[in-house]
Amino acid sequence: MTAAAPELTTAPPREADSGHLRLDALTKRFTGRSGTVTAVDRVSLDVEPGEFITLLGPSGCGKTTTLRMVAGFEDSSSGSILLDGRAIDGIPPQRRPMAMVFQSYALFPHMTVAENIAYGMRLQRRTRDDIATSMRMAVTSMNLVGLEDRSPHELSGGQQQRVALARALVVQPKVLLFDEPLSNLDAKLRDAMRAEIRRIQKMFGITSIYVTHDQDEAMSMSDRIVVMNKGRVEQAAAPGEIYARPASVFVADFIGRANFLEAVPERVGGSGVTVTVLGRQLTVAAHPKVTAGATGAYLMVRPETVRLSAVTDAGTGMGVVLRSTFHGPTIDYEVETTGGTITVTEPGVDPREALAEGTNVDVSLDPERAYLLTQD
Amino acid sequence: MTTTLTDSGPSTSPEVAAPPRRRRSDLGVRGLIAAVAVLVAIGAVVPLVAVLATAFSPDALPRYTEFFTSWVDLAVLRNTLVLGTLVGLCGTALGFLFAFVQARLDVPGKKILHVIALMPIVSPPFAIATATVVLYGRRGVISNGVFGVEYDIYGLDGLVFVLSLSLFPVAYLGLLGMLRALDPALEEAAMNMGASRWQVLRTLILPLVAPGLVAPFLLLFVEAIADLANPLVLGGDYTVLAGRAYLAVTGEYDVTGAAVYCVILLVPSLAMYFAQRRWMNRKVRTTITGRPSGSVHPITGWARWPVYALALLAAAVILSLYGTVIVGSMTRVFGIDNTFTLDYLEEVVAGVGVEAVLDTLMFAAIATPVAGLVGLVIAWLVVRHLDRTAWLLDLGGTLGVAVPGTVLGIGFVLAYRPDRWIGPVHAIPSLVGGSAIAGGAVAIVLAYVVRSIPAGQRTAVASLTQLHPYIEQASTDLGASPLQTFRRVTLPLIRPALLTGLSYSFARSMTSVSTIVLLVTPQTKIITSQVLSAASTGRYGVAFAYCTVLTALVLAGFALIRVLVGTGAALQRTATSERQKS
Repeated sequence: MTAAAPELTTAPPREADSGHLRLDALTKRFTGRSGTVTAVDRVSLDVEPGEFITLLGPSGCGKTTTLRMVAGFEDSSSGSILLDGRAIDGIPPQRRPMAMVFQSYALFPHMTVAENIAYGMRLQRRTRDDIATSMRMAVTSMNLVGLEDRSPHELSGGQQQRVALARALVVQPKVLLFDEPLSNLDAKLRDAMRAEIRRIQKMFGITSIYVTHDQDEAMSMSDRIVVMNKGRVEQAAAPGEIYARPASVFVADFIGRANFLEAVPERVGGSGVTVTVLGRQLTVAAHPKVTAGATGAYLMVRPETVRLSAVTDAGTGMGVVLRSTFHGPTIDYEVETTGGTITVTEPGVDPREALAEGTNVDVSLDPERAYLLTQD
Repeated sequence: MTTTLTDSGPSTSPEVAAPPRRRRSDLGVRGLIAAVAVLVAIGAVVPLVAVLATAFSPDALPRYTEFFTSWVDLAVLRNTLVLGTLVGLCGTALGFLFAFVQARLDVPGKKILHVIALMPIVSPPFAIATATVVLYGRRGVISNGVFGVEYDIYGLDGLVFVLSLSLFPVAYLGLLGMLRALDPALEEAAMNMGASRWQVLRTLILPLVAPGLVAPFLLLFVEAIADLANPLVLGGDYTVLAGRAYLAVTGEYDVTGAAVYCVILLVPSLAMYFAQRRWMNRKVRTTITGRPSGSVHPITGWARWPVYALALLAAAVILSLYGTVIVGSMTRVFGIDNTFTLDYLEEVVAGVGVEAVLDTLMFAAIATPVAGLVGLVIAWLVVRHLDRTAWLLDLGGTLGVAVPGTVLGIGFVLAYRPDRWIGPVHAIPSLVGGSAIAGGAVAIVLAYVVRSIPAGQRTAVASLTQLHPYIEQASTDLGASPLQTFRRVTLPLIRPALLTGLSYSFARSMTSVSTIVLLVTPQTKIITSQVLSAASTGRYGVAFAYCTVLTALVLAGFALIRVLVGTGAALQRTATSERQKS
């Protein structure tokens, strides 16, 4: 687990005791008839005030369970949750200063938009004027003006989403929780709402935990991404770091696309590790666990960092094009090499000018953008 | 570029511009419609028309003036409405209590409570009433024996007690379904914003459930005012319209008067019934934008115990009543002479009762598959094949519950007792009464069918509505005719609904009484009418024995239907997901 990249923390500075969340070896075991399942396994995490953290992983990886433990809907089996240094484990959800935006939005169908937004504030026994002021601000900042007296079912999906967000914001939570809030929206709206959520979150500077299985969403919104697999944290780092220097084969494979070329680390030096790949010697960055001579090491190469060039003499190239797929902005090639079949993404050209299947090609890797890691 | 044209107005794309051409219906479908329509007409429409014709014949008209100027008659009307209202309120409250405990409380023994709450569905109509007299009446085993009071159970209080207990399962099932369908995320959202359990209940659950309380109230109202059995046994001098009409036919041989009472009973029945349907069909005010998420957080605090205790008390009362039925069938005079005896059961299964048992079984066995099938076919036609005329068929099918059984029975008497001659031809022989063909069996089976159709129809409509039409369209597209599609695709998919429908139909046939008491003849005996005569002459042991046997037969019938139909995949799926939830 790596620390947050400070240069990417974009939230405004806040006082030290406002929304600092710490998970300490948080564990959740479910006991069913088929035995005990550890859904969340010793997850530790430090979330800075104002930070936007995404829990990312395939379904069943424990991300939602982690979020629900933070909210208080599930009790942890062991470990603890600390908010601003105080353990909040035994505190019921209604007394935790957090607000959640649900996947189904969970708008109260028997209340209008305004009543939905006012619900939490009324429970806080705030004055009528105070509620009205907060309401006005929320409605304005969320572009909901004129919809106050509508019923939730009269709203579009995006509007419902904004009401859910407004309802969560006005209770002034220390932590905002998002449970896959965009998965029910269509693609265009989803893009717009991503930007909207991020804008609002930065504006209020609220610590946020966002659960998603959509890597694109995670990459575009987060200060830091926590990649989870089988209940454990595989890596927690800024999106750029996760993409360029994944901590494991799982992370590399889950985030974006990756080729894995078997490589034997020959020499570990100050400028990187020297490996021989596809018959060429390269010096690349490597995961700290990689040692010289270790077996089971792989060079991770992103498809878009590879370049192909056709060679005219048959048998002299490093590989043969098996298949090409036109995507518009890009063309994907599958290339058979001595190190296995790799995928290469080239900027799009006219499909008629693409490399034909069966073409002999030279493959050039960019050592700056390759990363050496071990299998385990 | 054709792709950019999609937004340029519908007139350019031919599949939007052309109105959907109405397909000529398949011959098989038309045949089905005709068959079903004829059956519904003979079984429900003709009797109803016969009642209306008699009630609005010239010599009946002065009777309305008499009715509305007679204090006695007006009291009967008031009694009926008061009874309906009270049973609606109490039964709905009881149903809500059980549903709330089941869905929201973290308490032990909920599975058993569920079974207890469903017991009244399969019980014969007089069981609870008779057991109530024995346990809680003037010389009641509990009221007098334990508490030493001489409580007069006959009258409104006894009727409300018995009818609420007998009818509340419908309310319970409906409300349970509704509570379970509430998206748990709503509750979590409220908790998340600081609402306590009590605040969640007050601001969220109750307001969301409140509209749902109306439908069970109306339904129980209809059932309560239509009930004939309980007022006969337990009414005392508290007369209601159904009993009054019955008396007019059987005691006073005043058919015109009976028809007038029927019409006056029909007005609130039909009004409430159709109000209930409207209420259920109105657009539901919920937003379902994603899959429901989160988990139910049952109430765990001390506050659950008083609520639980209340439900346990009600369950204990229900158990005491059924226990009395079983014990009472095996003791000489339960509460007074508790000697074990098998005389009563023997009388029922090996003595004079055999005839009634066999007749009832045979008629119900004929009626159940017919009713189940007709209900299913109506549902299928209504949901899939008829657009403009669907409501008419749907309406015809539901007449069996919307029209009080007594009214239907009187309709049968009016329509089918006399021989019908067209010229010299003996067109329709008498179906009802002493000289009826087959001893009145035809009319009884017909009445069973008509009274049972709605049960199957309702479950099938619900199930078919959920089945996406694309599935059937895929079958049609592959070359299957509508009937082939129905048999090979639809039927297997809605098998659970068929199972439920058939079970309900069988239970309803076996326990049907208000129509049947008017149709039995010396040649055909029916268990329920035997219970009525035993109970009203104070031979409680025999009545209990009949009830016990009847309940056993209904349960055996359920098992048989289950074996014949097979449990559908959907049922099993539900069971598994239920298990995972808990």
